[in-house]
Amino acid sequence: MLNGELPKMYDLDQPIRNFVSKRLIEIESYRTVQEAAKKMVEFNISSLAVVEEGSIIGFITDGDIKRKVVAEGLDPGISVEEIMIEELITEDIDITVQEALDTMTKKNIKHLLVTEGTDVVGIVTLTDLLDIKRHSLDTYISRE
Amino acid sequence: MKICQISDTHFGSESDFNRKLLYSLLDRINNSGFSLLIHSGDVTQSGRKDEYIEARRFFKKIKIPHIVIPGNHDARNGGLKLFEDHIGPVNGYKEIDDGIIIYVNSAIADSDEGRVGMVKFDLIKDILQKYTDAGLKVVLIHHHIIPIPMAGRERNVLSNAGDILDLLIKGDVDLVLSGHRHYPNVHKVENTLFVNAGTTSSVKTRYGDVNSYNVIEIGDREQSFTTVRVDGRKSERKYSRKRNRVFYDFGSKIFRVAHLSNTFISNDRSFLRKHFKNAIMTINRLEPDLIVHCGGIVREGITQDYELAVRLFSTVDGPILFTPAGRDLNYLGYHLFPKYMDSFDQKYKTEDVVFQGVSSSQYDSPVGIVGDTQRKALFKKLHESSEGIKAIFLHHNLIPIPHSREKGLLEDSGDLLREVVDAEIDLVLTGTSSHPYAAKVGKTVIVNANSTSSVYQRSVMGNSFNLIDIYEDALAVYEVNSLWGSRRLLGIWNRNG
Ligand SMILES: [Fe+2]
Ligand SMILES: [Fe+2]
Repeated sequence: MLNGELPKMYDLDQPIRNFVSKRLIEIESYRTVQEAAKKMVEFNISSLAVVEEGSIIGFITDGDIKRKVVAEGLDPGISVEEIMIEELITEDIDITVQEALDTMTKKNIKHLLVTEGTDVVGIVTLTDLLDIKRHSLDTYISRE
Repeated sequence: MKICQISDTHFGSESDFNRKLLYSLLDRINNSGFSLLIHSGDVTQSGRKDEYIEARRFFKKIKIPHIVIPGNHDARNGGLKLFEDHIGPVNGYKEIDDGIIIYVNSAIADSDEGRVGMVKFDLIKDILQKYTDAGLKVVLIHHHIIPIPMAGRERNVLSNAGDILDLLIKGDVDLVLSGHRHYPNVHKVENTLFVNAGTTSSVKTRYGDVNSYNVIEIGDREQSFTTVRVDGRKSERKYSRKRNRVFYDFGSKIFRVAHLSNTFISNDRSFLRKHFKNAIMTINRLEPDLIVHCGGIVREGITQDYELAVRLFSTVDGPILFTPAGRDLNYLGYHLFPKYMDSFDQKYKTEDVVFQGVSSSQYDSPVGIVGDTQRKALFKKLHESSEGIKAIFLHHNLIPIPHSREKGLLEDSGDLLREVVDAEIDLVLTGTSSHPYAAKVGKTVIVNANSTSSVYQRSVMGNSFNLIDIYEDALAVYEVNSLWGSRRLLGIWNRNG
C-alpha cells in the first residue's frame, strides 16, 4: 500500500554530482558556427564549451545557433566567438538538484556548467535533472 | 594519507589461523606512519565467542585509528551479534581529516554469498549525499564488487553488485576496499579504485600465494596501491587521481560499430518484429563499419527461428558478426548456429581494427564460461594481430550490470577482466542482462547492450542497441532506441589516458 504517500520519483535533495555529464565537449573559439552545429549533431548534444588556449571562455547552445544565426539569416561561417555566451553560469557539483533547477528557472536556461573546486568539470542539463531513470539508481533486490 | 588494509585474519584454531604471523605485524602497523587501519572482514574463522575475544585483544594492541567490518565467516553461528559486542558496529561511517569512510556489512547469516539490501544501499547513498564534497571518499565492504582473478569457479559477488557499482561510480567514490577472495587485486573503474586484499593470516591462501596486507597511499594527484607479502615481496600499482572530464580533441573517426543483443527472433509474440525492423533500418542509415550481435539471436535453438533470423538479418547492409547465448544453442542450436550463423568464434579484421568473438555459452545453460584454454587462445590471436584497435565480444558480462542480478557474469569473469585490462584491449562488447551500460576499466571500455527486440528488457527507455564511434583519441558510446531511432550519449572516454 502507498500509505497515502506518493511514490518518490524525483529525489531533489541529491547532489547534482549524480547527474552531471562528466563529458563536456569543447570547441575552439575560432571555429565556425557550422562546425559547432556539426559537432552537436555528431555527438547528439545540445551545447558546447568554447575554449581559447585551453581555458573555457564561453558557451554555445543549439538555441543560440537557431536564434542568433539561422533566424537572423546570418552566415553560418561566422566564428562561434561572435555568438557565444560570455557570461558563464556555473554551479558547484555539490549543490542539490533542487538548487540547480532553481537557478535554471531564475535565469531561464537549460544548461549549467559544473565546477569542482576551481575547475569546470562537466555540464548538467534540464533533461539530465528530470531523467527519472537517473533518479532511481537501484533495483529492488531485497530489503536487508 | 597512508592506509593499511589487513583482511581475512580468520582468528581461530592453529589449523586455520597463523597467530604468530599476525602478531608479528603489530609493530609495523603501529609504527609505519599509517593514519588508519582497515580490516575488510572475516575477522574470525567461525564467528565464535572465543575467537572474538582473542580478536578484541589483538585490536586493543593497535594504537592507530581503525575500522573493522564483518565478513561471511563472522556471520556464522550467530556471530554478527558477537561482532557488535566485541568489535563494534557492523554498519556506519567515520570522518577522517576531510574524508569520509563508509562501511557496510555485506554478510548474510550462515551463507558465503553477499548482499547489500535496500537499507544499506540507502545508507551508502545518504552518506555519499551528505558528504558529497568530501576530499576523500572511501567505502568498505567485505564482498568484492568487481570480479577477482584466480577465483576458481566461485563468483560470490554481491547479488546487486551492478547497482552498487553504479552508485559508487556516480558518487565519485575514490576507493572501495574489500576482502573475501584471499587474493590481492586492484582495478580502476572510471575514477574509482576497487582494491581487494589477500588474507593476512589465514592458512587458506590461493594458488600458493603467501599472506599479505595492502598499503594504500593517497596524495592530491596520485594514489598508489602496494601489496606487501610476508615473504618480503612487494607489488605496486600507481594511479592518477586526475579526473578526465573535458574533451575537444577527438582526432578523426576510425570506426563505427552497431552493437546489438537479445533480439530473440521467433514467431512468438515476445519477439517485437516492428522494433527489430526499425532498428535494422536505423542501423543501415547510421552506416556502421561493422555490426556485432552479442547473442540471444533466436528465442530458441530451433530451425524455424534460425530460418526466420537469417531472412530478417539479410536486410542488414554491411558485415555482421554473431556470438551465441545459451538459448541459441538449445535444442538443435548447437548444430544450427554454425550452419546458419557461421563459426562460433567469429572475427573481423582490417589494418585498423580487429574484433574477435569468444563463445562463452553452454548448451541449455544460462551460465557462461570462457576457460583457461580458450582464454589463452584468444589472447594469442589478438597479440598476433597488428597494432590498432583491439576489441573482444562475447555474450556474458565481465563487470556487474545495474538493474540486474549478478547472474549474467561470466563464471571466470575475474580472470578474463584482469587479462583484458592488462593487455589494454580497447573495447569489450557483451550482451546479457538486457540493460545498456558502459564503463571504463583501466584503459578498456566495456559496453553491454540491452535487448534490441524482445519484450524481456530492462531499460525504462525501451528496447535499444548501442552505437560506438571510435576516434583516434576518443571513444563514444550511445544507446539508440530500437523503435524511434533516438540517440542518447552513454559516455565518452579518452583513448590515450
Ligand atoms: Fe575470508
Ligand atoms: Fe569471506
